[in-house]
Amino acid sequence: MIQKKLKINYEVWSERLTKIYGKGNEALEAVSKIDLRVKPGVHGFLGPNGAGKTTTYHMLVGAISITEGKAKIRGKKAGSVAAKQVIGFLPQDPVFYEDMSGEDYLIYMGQLGGLKSKEAKRKAQELLDYFDMFDARNREIGKYSGGMKQKIGIATALIHDPKVLILDEPTANLDPLGRADVIKKIRDLSDKVSVFVSSHILSEIEQMCEDVTMINHGKIVISDSIKNIKKSYVSNLYILDTDMNEKFLEMLKNIDFISKVRIEEIDGKIHIIPKDQDKLRELIPQMLIKNKATLYSFYQPELSLQDIFMEIMAKKEDIEK
Amino acid sequence: MKSNKLNLTDKIKPKVDGFNNKVLQPIKSWFSKYISKKTFIVIKKTFFDIYSLKKLIITIIFLLFVPTIFIFLPTGVDFGLISTHHAATIISIAILFPVFFFTLGIFFALMIGFSGSSLIAEEVKSGTMLILVSKPISRIKIFLGKYIAVIFYGMLISFISIFTLGWIGVLMKSGNIDHFISLLPFLTALYLYSLFILFLFTSITMALSSIFKKPRTVSITVFILVIFSFIAFFLIRTFIGQFYGIYQIYHFDLGYHLGNVFVLFIETLNAIPPSAAWQMLFGQLTGVYSLTSSIDPDQGINLGGLEKTNYYLPIFSLLIWVLIAALLLFFGIWSLKKREISI
Repeated sequence: MIQKKLKINYEVWSERLTKIYGKGNEALEAVSKIDLRVKPGVHGFLGPNGAGKTTTYHMLVGAISITEGKAKIRGKKAGSVAAKQVIGFLPQDPVFYEDMSGEDYLIYMGQLGGLKSKEAKRKAQELLDYFDMFDARNREIGKYSGGMKQKIGIATALIHDPKVLILDEPTANLDPLGRADVIKKIRDLSDKVSVFVSSHILSEIEQMCEDVTMINHGKIVISDSIKNIKKSYVSNLYILDTDMNEKFLEMLKNIDFISKVRIEEIDGKIHIIPKDQDKLRELIPQMLIKNKATLYSFYQPELSLQDIFMEIMAKKEDIEK
Repeated sequence: MKSNKLNLTDKIKPKVDGFNNKVLQPIKSWFSKYISKKTFIVIKKTFFDIYSLKKLIITIIFLLFVPTIFIFLPTGVDFGLISTHHAATIISIAILFPVFFFTLGIFFALMIGFSGSSLIAEEVKSGTMLILVSKPISRIKIFLGKYIAVIFYGMLISFISIFTLGWIGVLMKSGNIDHFISLLPFLTALYLYSLFILFLFTSITMALSSIFKKPRTVSITVFILVIFSFIAFFLIRTFIGQFYGIYQIYHFDLGYHLGNVFVLFIETLNAIPPSAAWQMLFGQLTGVYSLTSSIDPDQGINLGGLEKTNYYLPIFSLLIWVLIAALLLFFGIWSLKKREISI
């Protein structure tokens, strides 16, 4: 009973959700026993290309079967008509009926979503207006630009008033202006609906989401709020900048309590991840005095999600090796 | 008397209720479950995807082309001197073969195959199906919506073709409207037969469209099936006829079964009187007639027509292929339900 209540409280919930393609020796585990816990709000789904994000989404919307485990959308079995009633889905690179006008397409999708004809038309026009496409409503979708198609895709997901939006790479193939526009729309929408959005561009996720789930090789690497993730990773990285960075790099490489050290190509500074932070804080001043080096900066930066993701991935790979 | 009435009602009522509960209710609930407003929305969209006035006209011209040539062939009969019934029979026989083989045979089956082949396979291949299946509509409704749209389109095409052909026949041969009225049983038989063909080939096409990835594969498979049904088995029957009966090839001969069903509709509606004039050629082409005269053994009188081969009773041919079509319909639904929709 308690477990059932928990499932309902989550917008998206899964337990040991698994997808295996093929059989026998050729079997490929695209998603492996993932436990999703997506709370109301905007939840990011991160991972490199081929990590299993799209496969997970396709299982959640009932496009492909679930090999093992289970998933629920607002307490309703994923893939069921009841679950699909509460979700709006935007696939990666959505394909539409190119010869239909934007308005007709939205009306058709709205009616399939259970709206009456007049209601569907009103909602379609409302959404076209919201996405600044009202003037292009009678144009064939085939003649829309990439950005307009993406907006029609999001409008299609929204047409039947879903409670949860599942957006698979909504900013893919868009120019910077188009991206900014779509991100803004998603943030605005999050007041009314929960959003479970994927991207491999982490800076975008950082702009949109409160919580994230990171996935790699079909497995969840981490799932928490961005705030908590940053808190737990912020203390680990130190940045050092002196007038003899190359020399310091060589010296630091031989210190046993330093797990990683490198010169970042972009800023030319030394990025250090120590095993023992106190020892590092003692060591750096000693090294500066001993080598008569000039210190430009020595600090702990606030990590971007990108840095954290890279670090987590690196750690994972080390463990696997 | 009153109590007798009451008793009778009391006896009948449980039976009626039982029939309602066991038969009508499940049918009603099945219909309300799968034929809902959303199904009609898919039907409407699909119908207008297939239909265009230009396409309709071209299709009908194709369907009518061959029988119209046959209508123009001279019959050497003065239609002013013969009875209305006789005139209708002559017109019927003039268009019988081209209608069976081309209009409602090869062309009609191919038209269904080409119209229906893309409906599922193309949507899955192009990616439009992904958004469709993510909407709150069951795949059964999507399948049925597309299936019924093809059926409606086929019904419209065959209705226009058959009744236009009837008019062309009457106008070219006699110009007498009474002849058209006498032709109605024949045209009705043709229309009923066209519904059977429509049901069968729509089920075949949609089932294939549900399992194959490429729409072209579906069209080619339907094309091969049609050629086999109408031409390959005819050649087998003609050139190695002695083996046809011995090895019971008729079990698999769709052309024979279609001919058998066609004759069933003609006979049931008494559309054309039995006579060797048309049965001879029909027997050669379909194997339904044995090409020997039907003579009364006692009186030695020709009973009017040829004997049937009767490999199958016509009603059995109808039931078997209706059952096959129904199974293919369910197989198509099942295949789409299980299909992985992914780009």
